[in-house]
Amino acid sequence: MNANCLIDVKGLKKYYKGEEVKALDGIDLEIDQGEVVVIIGPSGSGKSTMLRSLNLLEIPTAGSIIFDGEDLANPKIDINKHRQKMGMVFQHFNLFPNMNVLKNLTIAPIKLLGKKKEEAEAYAMEMLERVDLADRADAYPSQLSGGQKQRVAIVRALCMDPEVMLFDEPTSALDPEMVGEVLEVMKKLAKRGMTMVVVTHEMGFAREVATRVVFMDGGKVLEQGTPEQVFDHPQDPRLQDFLSKVL
Amino acid sequence: MNFSDLWIVNELKRTLLVDDRYMMYVNGFINTLKITGGALIVGLIIGIIIAAIRTSYDKNKETLQLKGGIGYGILSIVNWICKVYLTVIRGTPVVVQLMIMYFVVFASSSNGVLVGIVAFGINSAAYVAEIFRAGIMSVDQGQFEAGRSIGFNYFQTMRYIIIPQMFKAVLPTLLNEFIALLKETSVAGYVGVIELTKTGNIIGGRIYEYFIPLGIVAIIYLVTVLILTALVGKVERRLRKSER
Repeated sequence: MNANCLIDVKGLKKYYKGEEVKALDGIDLEIDQGEVVVIIGPSGSGKSTMLRSLNLLEIPTAGSIIFDGEDLANPKIDINKHRQKMGMVFQHFNLFPNMNVLKNLTIAPIKLLGKKKEEAEAYAMEMLERVDLADRADAYPSQLSGGQKQRVAIVRALCMDPEVMLFDEPTSALDPEMVGEVLEVMKKLAKRGMTMVVVTHEMGFAREVATRVVFMDGGKVLEQGTPEQVFDHPQDPRLQDFLSKVL
Repeated sequence: MNFSDLWIVNELKRTLLVDDRYMMYVNGFINTLKITGGALIVGLIIGIIIAAIRTSYDKNKETLQLKGGIGYGILSIVNWICKVYLTVIRGTPVVVQLMIMYFVVFASSSNGVLVGIVAFGINSAAYVAEIFRAGIMSVDQGQFEAGRSIGFNYFQTMRYIIIPQMFKAVLPTLLNEFIALLKETSVAGYVGVIELTKTGNIIGGRIYEYFIPLGIVAIIYLVTVLILTALVGKVERRLRKSER
């Protein structure tokens, strides 16, 4: 494990129904500070399960996830403390529908980080400014478009000042014309040096922004490398097959 | 023909004015409200506790099993007790429960109102618990994950994210349960409580005429229910406004 390593995944397994379904079958993955790791693969390959295991939304059957010097897979540790430092963005946004945008952004910093309301709101407004949504601070999620919802969801995670951002197919539920605005926000985030792990079907984004592309199938990492290596010189036959279908 | 010779006026006089009988209605209605209100509070408190236990068992059993220790064992026993409670209470008539409470459990007490509050409260709790549980389950699982992923623990997620959304969803059903409760208390006469229904019955017996005394009882119930319905409609509209 090198000094820059932020998350170190070793031998991660997730089985369902005993050992009948192997969603994850021994994953080893190091994620370094400042990296943008994009995970691609056919549906059912385990990439979402992998991502959701990183913050224990899925409880792994075996293996370890070292983050901040602690093994998250160890049930004895305080997972909530670590989750505060791992922002997560979901396919279906999951904004809190009963709160307006500003409340969505400030509830966690106020309740968990002990920030004062004014302080949390000022910070939230600053972050909203960056995604061009400062004028929608009073709106409720139902009044926003899909792209706006997802941008707010990204800001909600950022308001906790996370060390890493996890994206679970952030553009899959969006209308095509809204995909661009969300990817744009993610690109900006990457440029600012945020560590990101992204599960996506957006190959263009992967090629342009990723520092590393990871190909998964059947619960295993089959190939990984720079976007050039993975997209232009794929080695694994299943990756070649996958790329021939999606590119 | 004189106005006061009309049959209906005469009957109303006999039912309400003679011997100040309207006071009997007032006192009967107060007893009905006491039992309903008390049972409502008891039912809500016990109901919330049971719903919390049942949902936290459903949502946390996987984690607790992995964690080991006695946490899982305790929770599954408590959950089992709750399930037995729900089955027994919902599987037997409320009158029987009330009589068992009055003649067996609290045989030494003659305070029918208090026993009524306990009996109807315990009964109502079973229904309230299931209403809350269904409400919590109806909130999208994604909301739960969003709360947890941001760093809230299970209880904080419940308190800040899930329960506020759940309340809105269950309010109409909860109101129906309270209305049912109000009407169910009419059987409290079985254990000697003189509540509204019993009052009508008693007055009917005194004047050998039941139509007017019981009609008045029915009207009082109906008006109370209508007021309750209107009140909750107002609250509901206000809650919904926050989403537009």
